[in-house]
Amino acid sequence: MRFALYLLTAMATFAETTIVQNATVYTITKGTFKGSVLIEDGKIKQVGLNITAPAGARIVDASGMHLTPGLIDAHSHIAVQAGGINEGSVSVSSMVRIEDFVDPESVAIYRALAGGVTTANILHGSANAIGGQNRLIKMRWGKSGAEMLFAGGPPSIKFALGENPKRSGNANGPVTPATVLRYPATRMGVEDVYRQAFTEAQAYQKTWADFKGGSSTVEPRRDLRLEPLVEIMEGKRLVHCHAYRGDEMLMMMRVAEEFGFRIATFQHVQEGYKIAKEMAVHGVGGSGFSDWWAYKMEVVDGIPYNMAVMTNKGVLAAVNSDDAGLMRRLNTEAAKTMKYGGLTEEQALALVTINPARHMKVDDMIGSIEVGKSADLVVWNKHPLSSYAVPQKVFIDGNLYFDRDQDGSERVAKETKKKALEEKSKTPARKPSTNEDR
Amino acid sequence: MIKSLAFLCLPLLAVAQKQTTVAIRNAKIVTISGPVLYKGTVILKDGLIEAVGENVRIPAGAWIIEGDGLTVYPGLIDGLSTVGIIPPPVITPTTTAPATPPARGPEDRPRTTSWERAADKVRANDPRIDSARNAGFTSVVTFPTAGIFAGQGAVVNMAGDNPSKMIVESPAGQYMTLAGAGGQGAARGFPSSGMGVYAYVRQIFIDLDYYEKTKAAYQANPAGKQRPAYDRALEGLKESGRLLLPAGSKVEMERVIRLASELNMPFVLYGAQEGYRTSEQLKQGKVSVLVSAKWPAKIPNGDPDAEESLRTLEVRENAPSTPAALAKDGVKFAFYSDGQTPVEFIKGVRLAVERGLSHDDAVKALSLSTAEIFGIANRLGSVEKGKIANLVISKGDLLAEKSTIQYVFIDGIHFVPSPDAAPATVAPPGATGRRPRTGDQK
Amino acid sequence: MKIAKFLLFTVPLVAQDSFILRNVTIHPVTSADIVGGSIVVANGKIVELGAKVTASKSIKVIDGRGLHVYPGMINCATQMGLSEVTSVRESNDTNEIGEFLPQVRAVVAVNPDSEHIPVTRVNGITSSLVLPASLSETGRGAGTGPQSILRGQSAMIHLDGWNWEDMAISRNAGVLMRFPAIVTRRAAFGEGAIGTPIPYNEAKKTYETELKKVEEFFDSAKHYQAAKMAKAAGFKLNVQLDAMIPVLEGKVPLLIAAQKERTIRDAIAFAKKQNVKIILLDVTKPGKALDVIKQNNIPVVVGKPTSLPEDEDDPYDASYSLPGQLYKAGIKFAFGTYDNQFARNLPYEAAFAVAYGLPYEEALKALTIGAAEIFGVSNEIGSIEKGKSADFVVTDGDPLEVRTQVKMLFIRGKNVSLETKQTRLYEKYMNRK
Repeated sequence: MRFALYLLTAMATFAETTIVQNATVYTITKGTFKGSVLIEDGKIKQVGLNITAPAGARIVDASGMHLTPGLIDAHSHIAVQAGGINEGSVSVSSMVRIEDFVDPESVAIYRALAGGVTTANILHGSANAIGGQNRLIKMRWGKSGAEMLFAGGPPSIKFALGENPKRSGNANGPVTPATVLRYPATRMGVEDVYRQAFTEAQAYQKTWADFKGGSSTVEPRRDLRLEPLVEIMEGKRLVHCHAYRGDEMLMMMRVAEEFGFRIATFQHVQEGYKIAKEMAVHGVGGSGFSDWWAYKMEVVDGIPYNMAVMTNKGVLAAVNSDDAGLMRRLNTEAAKTMKYGGLTEEQALALVTINPARHMKVDDMIGSIEVGKSADLVVWNKHPLSSYAVPQKVFIDGNLYFDRDQDGSERVAKETKKKALEEKSKTPARKPSTNEDR
Repeated sequence: MIKSLAFLCLPLLAVAQKQTTVAIRNAKIVTISGPVLYKGTVILKDGLIEAVGENVRIPAGAWIIEGDGLTVYPGLIDGLSTVGIIPPPVITPTTTAPATPPARGPEDRPRTTSWERAADKVRANDPRIDSARNAGFTSVVTFPTAGIFAGQGAVVNMAGDNPSKMIVESPAGQYMTLAGAGGQGAARGFPSSGMGVYAYVRQIFIDLDYYEKTKAAYQANPAGKQRPAYDRALEGLKESGRLLLPAGSKVEMERVIRLASELNMPFVLYGAQEGYRTSEQLKQGKVSVLVSAKWPAKIPNGDPDAEESLRTLEVRENAPSTPAALAKDGVKFAFYSDGQTPVEFIKGVRLAVERGLSHDDAVKALSLSTAEIFGIANRLGSVEKGKIANLVISKGDLLAEKSTIQYVFIDGIHFVPSPDAAPATVAPPGATGRRPRTGDQK
Repeated sequence: MKIAKFLLFTVPLVAQDSFILRNVTIHPVTSADIVGGSIVVANGKIVELGAKVTASKSIKVIDGRGLHVYPGMINCATQMGLSEVTSVRESNDTNEIGEFLPQVRAVVAVNPDSEHIPVTRVNGITSSLVLPASLSETGRGAGTGPQSILRGQSAMIHLDGWNWEDMAISRNAGVLMRFPAIVTRRAAFGEGAIGTPIPYNEAKKTYETELKKVEEFFDSAKHYQAAKMAKAAGFKLNVQLDAMIPVLEGKVPLLIAAQKERTIRDAIAFAKKQNVKIILLDVTKPGKALDVIKQNNIPVVVGKPTSLPEDEDDPYDASYSLPGQLYKAGIKFAFGTYDNQFARNLPYEAAFAVAYGLPYEEALKALTIGAAEIFGVSNEIGSIEKGKSADFVVTDGDPLEVRTQVKMLFIRGKNVSLETKQTRLYEKYMNRK
């Protein structure tokens, strides 16, 4: 049994040939039509009005149903085990990796999957100016941590501006000699952290260049903190930067330009609408909430029209969740941009599919229903932007990972199993042993 | 019954009895390394096993123990313990300035005492030594346990009035913890998170490699070169030879194995209670594990209405079947006490036996396997000629509930088992720790 | 002027603020929908509605061709007007210090110029219950003393007005109570964080001590009530205890946050013992207590359907489907958002309940008349009926659909501007060249 499971895991990539028929297909990039999608070897093989099902293919009749690409959440913190999502002890924690702590058994994965999410960028927290390395995952529920990881696409890192990274510089309560304050305490200091860190990284880059180029014979020490910063400057690592206010975003773009790189996205980007013009020139994307505001000082000017303004002014925008609960309904979050600011259906759907894929430079693999892309698909019972839309089936790499009917039938079995174990556990517990200090 | 016996034995409690030559004859001998001898003889001489077999000549003048109805086992080993190391007195935190500022990165070598050696810390007067021995434990692998790189362990025999004579092997590996210090802010320093710990571990191994290289280059030709700074953290790490890494759940085991495979040093996992889910992977990766025999239990005085997750219930139900699963799949594993008293420890092992592990495999996981994991199987862990004379002799299967331990030999010295009275945990010196008794010559 | 032809000019005495809204589909909620109907409003009240209504010739006509009219929705849990920016202490007037504060009134602290009010109402929410405190079962107020138990009077307000006096529909819609539940885990923060456990015996003892304290307080309130009734000699007016009289008389309910089965049972048992009316707030996992709620006819403000399920093994749609279960069990319920930030999303909370099993009509009722009935204001708001306050919203479709646009908004007959701080910022920056 255990062995069989092991094999199953190893064979995860071999998906059944599947055809989804009679659905309203929202390709996102190539229009919407009523037709079929053929899946082979985990990829979208064919998209069309009429496709003949290959012999032996699994047929999914989606009459009256709606088919979209799997939703992509560009900002999530689910499924990270132990010790939190922040290495907040230092202002530059570029050496830490979310990848190390992906927890494939977190139920948040299943819940998000049931909301149509197939890919999520699990970000380091926002406690410091230069945070840790993020990790893109696919919601392959039931698989191991290693199998959750998204294969391909550039690595990325989290930056953070404003209230959060400066918070550690402010003591709660009276300052005693024992109070440890972490620089910085202001937005001025946040900028300084970047300029100091990248100046250091430039020097590091040079020592290696000198060594490799032969002008120095002393091999430098590898520094896991500075390596990612060099990667950023070399354009090999994307920066997703937590930011709220327009002024701080402008600062960040200018610092990046000073050191010869670009910010990939501003996350939250509440005041993106104020600085959309500058963002468009820099080429940074805006990835944020649909309608959050007023939970702290730096978001008092948050408006639900933000996505629409950015989109209209040439900024590639995306809607994300940053929240395990909200993550389960990104479709209606996207729909809010139609209400506030009048985006079209296609624009709204793009905010949670192809646009975040572009932000993460994985749009050649996911984000739309196109031949050759991963078969990450969601079957909805209603229009995907409707408040009443419920995902019925969710495919990742052509494998069925969520099925609403199956979920219902599995509940009973799970409950029975649990009842039995609960009964067993009612028998008198063994005496707890003394805990040795270790 | 037991009480009255204990009373009678009182003057002889834990008395070490030195005898140059001992012969145990006509006993069942569970050698662990070879077949069981149903009517065999073991000769102990000068602290070593001189002979084991069915036709062994007993030397003249030997103290003869009639082994009818007795079973001889190798002395048990606790694979991971702190016995012998008396914790320093607790220092109450003060509100004044911290003595050292919090660590700001891997360069500050946070929570690292990799150079510290259990062998230097072991004291013969730890009262837990008596209780370990009474339960049949003739050795423990003991470690400093505070910090990310806590320090180097030692294999320690549970007898002697002099630590230097008790040490069997040092170092026995580096004890590591991987949890962050916690806290969002800067007060507790780097690394606050598990991610930070991982980053630190990676960096220190890179540093170790770099240190070795620079040192070698300098030593080869020091003239005209900058002298590399001495780094005791790296020196200590290098000496350890083996890492002990914590991993209890399947997810943790997978994660820690991924990390460990990046590091250029052998490793052993400890914890491993979800081994019933990972035995196949452990086997494939040739990973050895120390299994905690402190099985997950319902928290005492818990909320009767609080719902426990299916996962929690499953782990509690299945964890004790981990040893059986590991044995079946041929994963090298040994037990450790995980802070339990020896009596609780044996109870935990017994549950693993109830859940499918054979009795003798359980003894093996308390003797030879432990010795193999720590690379001392040429000295300890089985009843074999030439090995250290650590034996435990019982009436009935050693781990069975009703068995009684009749004799304990450590380094060939006989100890009369005594009823256990020592506390599970050790109080700092000057508190309630009782003075140990020294052995009397017979 | 095709419209004029249908008008019969019989409504006398046209008030200054009177108007007729014409050519709309009316969803009165309490009666059948009227297609192509009209509503006449005068002096802030609905005076006429129907397919054919009569109105004065000089009345102001608003054409709503193709649009739909729904009663204004009621958010049954907010801190509207009391809290502006959650993390900025100075902008918050929730969570007073003290154990028993039945006399403390939320209504007097409502800031009519809170930016949350327009932002919320432009999505069709015309009334809101203002709670004096947050609901956390384990929560502590702003102070460091004993935890607050009776946290103050909540108010039902119109989301428009010059001041709180003007906005109030019910100044005392219920006294918020933190029921002393058995809490066996300390509060924890962050995703997946689990607080350290508190031994059950200890938690139970704390609960019993607190409950005893509550009972003693109620006893003293009863003695006070009796003394006042009897006009006993030496009777002295006590502001705190006086505020308990309407509670003891069953005129004002206690609002008790009770998320799970045990707290719900304990709270209901307490209410029966004290013979007081209660409304349960934030019910999220009632389990078998569903029957107890029903048997005792306790109204419920359901926990947010979009909140995460309580426990790991709960069905993924546990919160989405709870309102449907309450409906099936025959329990009277309403919706609330428990905050200001997302107060405008109230209809979408209900929409999720519909997607997962609640009949649409029932969702609409729970958002309007059901909520009004629970808080005793159904003669004023909650449906489009003659004589009620003219609180309604004009949309281009189903208000539970996110994509639906609100076109007009009326509160007490006033055509309320759809402008907010957010639309102003939107326009300002859209126009940036």
